[in-house]
Amino acid sequence: MFAFIGCVLGTLIGVLPGLGPAAGTAILIPVTFYLDPIPAIIMLAAIYYGAMYGGTITSVLVNVPGEAASVITCLDGYQMAKQGRAGPALGIAAIGSFIGGTIATFALMLVSLPLASFALRFGPPEVFALLVVGLSLVTGLAGRSLLAALIMTLFGLLLAMVGMDPVRGAPRYTFGITPLYDGVGFIPVVMGLFGVGEILLSMESPVLEVIKTKLTDLLPKRKEWKVSIGAIGRGTGIGFFLGLIPGIGAIIPTFIAYIVEKRVSKHPEKFGTGVIEGVASPETANNSYANGALIPLLTLGIPGSPTLAVLMGAFIIHGLTPGPFLFKERPDVVWGLIASLYLGNIMLLILNLPLVGFWAKLLEIRYQYLYPGILLFCILGAYSMNQSVFDIGVMILFGILGYIFRKLDWPLAPTILALILGPMMERALRTSLEISGGDFSIFFTRPISAGLLILAAIVMVSSAVRLLPLRAGKPRTPC
Amino acid sequence: MKRAWQIASLAFVALAAFMLVKSFEYPFKDRLGPGPGFFPLWLSIITVALALALFFHTRFGKNVADGPTTLVPERSGALRALVILIALVGVLALLTTLGFRISLLLFLVFLPLALGVRNWWLTLIFALAGSFGVFHVFYYWLRLPLPIGVFGI
Repeated sequence: MFAFIGCVLGTLIGVLPGLGPAAGTAILIPVTFYLDPIPAIIMLAAIYYGAMYGGTITSVLVNVPGEAASVITCLDGYQMAKQGRAGPALGIAAIGSFIGGTIATFALMLVSLPLASFALRFGPPEVFALLVVGLSLVTGLAGRSLLAALIMTLFGLLLAMVGMDPVRGAPRYTFGITPLYDGVGFIPVVMGLFGVGEILLSMESPVLEVIKTKLTDLLPKRKEWKVSIGAIGRGTGIGFFLGLIPGIGAIIPTFIAYIVEKRVSKHPEKFGTGVIEGVASPETANNSYANGALIPLLTLGIPGSPTLAVLMGAFIIHGLTPGPFLFKERPDVVWGLIASLYLGNIMLLILNLPLVGFWAKLLEIRYQYLYPGILLFCILGAYSMNQSVFDIGVMILFGILGYIFRKLDWPLAPTILALILGPMMERALRTSLEISGGDFSIFFTRPISAGLLILAAIVMVSSAVRLLPLRAGKPRTPC
Repeated sequence: MKRAWQIASLAFVALAAFMLVKSFEYPFKDRLGPGPGFFPLWLSIITVALALALFFHTRFGKNVADGPTTLVPERSGALRALVILIALVGVLALLTTLGFRISLLLFLVFLPLALGVRNWWLTLIFALAGSFGVFHVFYYWLRLPLPIGVFGI
């Protein structure tokens, strides 16, 4: 039942522009306070992958992605809708997402346990090195300026310094303000950066034009199936394997899936004019990625995206620590979650195929009601974490910052991930140095940590090569 | 855009410099190893260095942040964003005194009307559902403590 509620809420979040999956999941964390950890995590995870489905509807019908990973779907999905083929576009997206999500869940089941067992060998130096890899991937792959992305990562780490020192418990940067002793709450920050900031930006052009089309014939025709099957297979593989890389985010797998599809197509020139493979492949990759990306979170405790960082926060709030020990100490949570992923994918297929007309109707809600409604839940979410009005102030402040950073085109994901990983990173670094008596060579004399740090260096150097000369101000991705 | 990047980099220089100075108040080392000041000190130094690098890169580099995007939105967009911020600050100021129901009722009546809606009845129903209705669901059903104001509402 909780998976079902999560799927419904997730689809709703995905459908509504102005509320991404990160803010949407964060808003609904308070709803799970009174639940036991297992149903709470199942519900929040369902919201996460439900949003991946829901984002497609907005991309196809409005040409605005409901969540960032559906950007590429606009290209062919919207063209199909303009040609009166919105039904097959949404149908193949739902079916592809179901297939991709289910296969990725099966692979997650196979890979997680051996990986978690391997990760049990990690000591503080390896944990630190792993976190450096995670953050360098998020930083290196985000945005078009490596320097700006690095600054945003450091901003998140600096924010994480506020509050009690994670090793000695000494207060830092609290300025005598009592709520700051608990640190800067990541929920108000997520709400601000991804909820309020997005709405402030949407205010510049708030009116959506929904294509009026009959949503019939959702099942693709035989000819369309023929070209879609291969696309779905490739999308599944691409999404899953890229999901294993922490920090890659949901957008890159969908873009790669689209590019690969274009490359293998006999008619690449038709991409962008409304070809069904252009919807099938990225949408499959999107959901396959969503399930695959749970592997680094569950086995290593590294969230690969802001939404997963929020999910990790939800684990912590419910007294669970994602990582290898979770498999050992709370296998009921892990296997309960994995079982719910199978069920959730089936539920989402049911929710998305027959109910697509209902979801499309939601897009006709006037923004004057939609955005205040979303803000109401942002306020509720920010307040209820600590029952603190101060957190609403934090949310407003980060809403303004989120708006500014979006305008600057500086990436927000590194800040959120660094904020949540900062205390773990500091604890691992300082404990390692305590073990070695202050000798930094501990990170280079242990093979796993040395290997991981070399990998982090390679990621940063390759990102620098890719992004230099630094450019900004280009038009946003066409959609 | 270029100017905006430069201002943002300098803002980060200032923030990190402030945190660097504050970090000296915390012990850099103690008898067990690195102290509470160790990590913030290094983070601040690196942030200052990178923010300065970005500033000089945007100041003197070619094709850096020189796109057409501007930070300032057109007038009507800016006004709508401002209305939202005013409404949010209003909730922040009134929540403890007036309680969740009244302050959110005011928020949800004010915002649609300020954004151009003229249907008072629909707005009122929407605001009642969003304030009293949501309060009922979260406070009584989900057992989430929400603020009750001076009027006992």
